[in-house]
Amino acid sequence: MLELKNIYVKVKDTDKEIIKNLSLKIGKGEVHAIMGPNGTGKSTLSKTLMGYYKYELTKGDILFNGKSIKNLEVDERAKCGIFLAMQDPTVINGVTNSEFLKTAKRELTNEPLDYFDFIKSIEKSLDSLNFDYSMIHRHVNKNFSGGEKKKNEILQIQILKPKFIILDEIDSGLDVDSLKIVCKNISSYLKENKDTSILIITHYPRILEYIKPDYVHIMNNGKIEKTGDITLALETEKSGYNSINKMNGKEKNE
Amino acid sequence: MNKIERKEKFITISKNQEIELHLFDKENKNIIYSLEKNSKLIVYQYGFDINNNIEIQLNGENSEVEYHYSLIGHQNTQYNILVLHNANNTKSNIYNHGLNVLNNKMDFNIVGKVPKKSKNCICNQENQIINLKNGNSTILPNLLIDQYEVVSNHSAYIGKFKDDILFYLMSRGISKKRGYELLIKSFLINNSNKQEDLINLEKEISKI
Ligand SMILES: Nc1ncnc2c1ncn2[C@@H]1O[C@H](COP(=O)(O)OP(=O)(O)OP(=O)(O)O)[C@@H](O)[C@H]1O
Ligand SMILES: [Mg+2]
Repeated sequence: MLELKNIYVKVKDTDKEIIKNLSLKIGKGEVHAIMGPNGTGKSTLSKTLMGYYKYELTKGDILFNGKSIKNLEVDERAKCGIFLAMQDPTVINGVTNSEFLKTAKRELTNEPLDYFDFIKSIEKSLDSLNFDYSMIHRHVNKNFSGGEKKKNEILQIQILKPKFIILDEIDSGLDVDSLKIVCKNISSYLKENKDTSILIITHYPRILEYIKPDYVHIMNNGKIEKTGDITLALETEKSGYNSINKMNGKEKNE
Repeated sequence: MNKIERKEKFITISKNQEIELHLFDKENKNIIYSLEKNSKLIVYQYGFDINNNIEIQLNGENSEVEYHYSLIGHQNTQYNILVLHNANNTKSNIYNHGLNVLNNKMDFNIVGKVPKKSKNCICNQENQIINLKNGNSTILPNLLIDQYEVVSNHSAYIGKFKDDILFYLMSRGISKKRGYELLIKSFLINNSNKQEDLINLEKEISKI
């Protein structure tokens, strides 16, 4: 479904290179997780996939269902079915959640909105997210608590129905109960949409206990350093990224 | 200011009265509102390529005004608003939004005045001008306050719609053009919930 081929990414108009020769292949219906130290380029990677204006892909290619998307506009990528749940979702003053979702839905489907269906699915989502109905009339992310912002990203997923989802630290800022709720919602979305793939960026294996990953990658210094399964996530949690480095390079000396 | 070419209007809000006005203006206007005791005035005013002078006199105790003003300018425009807290426990919240469409001047003069004799007043203003191109916009927020017990907030922003906001919209499949439309509409509607305001405004926005 998604293939990153030896990509290099730098901050536009600077020399700062953040991602260096990163390759990754994510198949249909697969769940991948990326872990990695702060500042290693995980959010940069996720925003690059979405076409963020501050980053420049200097080398390599991004293929989505076999086609290069590296020259597509942000909205065109979304229309391909890519969705980025952001680490820090943006506040949009003056635009209500409901208006935002209606506009996005119309633009994505390119047809008039079936209001009845729309309202039904919103109600269902709000219920399952344990979200107050008033959230839908509030301005997008404005004065939302950290956890509410994250839940709001999940609400958007349920309404907009993407095929490839990137969750950038969806678990940060969620209390235990909210994490459970969010994970349950994602799991049931995956169950109902079996072809959907997910890339989970996280610092904690806990979310991966709810949403079982097929692969876990460790990202360091702008590239994927190691790939394994859930045990790699648990190991990392126990002994940190430095020991992963050691296991990689100096195993025999120890 | 050349007052001769403008229409003058005096509006009195009587004691205990509450009034909500929705105004669409295409010609220059001076409006003076005078609020009596315990009265409340809510205004949504939309101006198109005009100059406006607004004066709000909070003359009675516990009188209160909420003023939402939005201006679209395709030419040089000026907007002056003066809020006078002439009595105790008076309250003003004013929201001034300007959309400077081309490369012209747009000037906001926003004055809130609380003299010494007026106790326990609240005087807030939120001012924003969005330049769609490279217009020359200024906001002069002025709080003339002679009182210690006033609650007062003011903010001013002049600039473009933020790229990160547009990115967020586009990342959900909204095209750049629709994204701008959505932002412009919500900026100018200035919190009105009235369907008619929206319809009238959309007509004007489609001309931008
Ligand atoms: N627009 C930018 N301009 C300059 N530096 C940037 C920019 N965006 C990211 N960086 C830098 O690139 C590096 C990677 O940032 P990124 O946000 O991708 O890290 P991350 O892996 O997501 O970290 P965290 O786990 O803390 O979220 C950091 O050093 C950051 O300061
Ligand atoms: Mg990050």
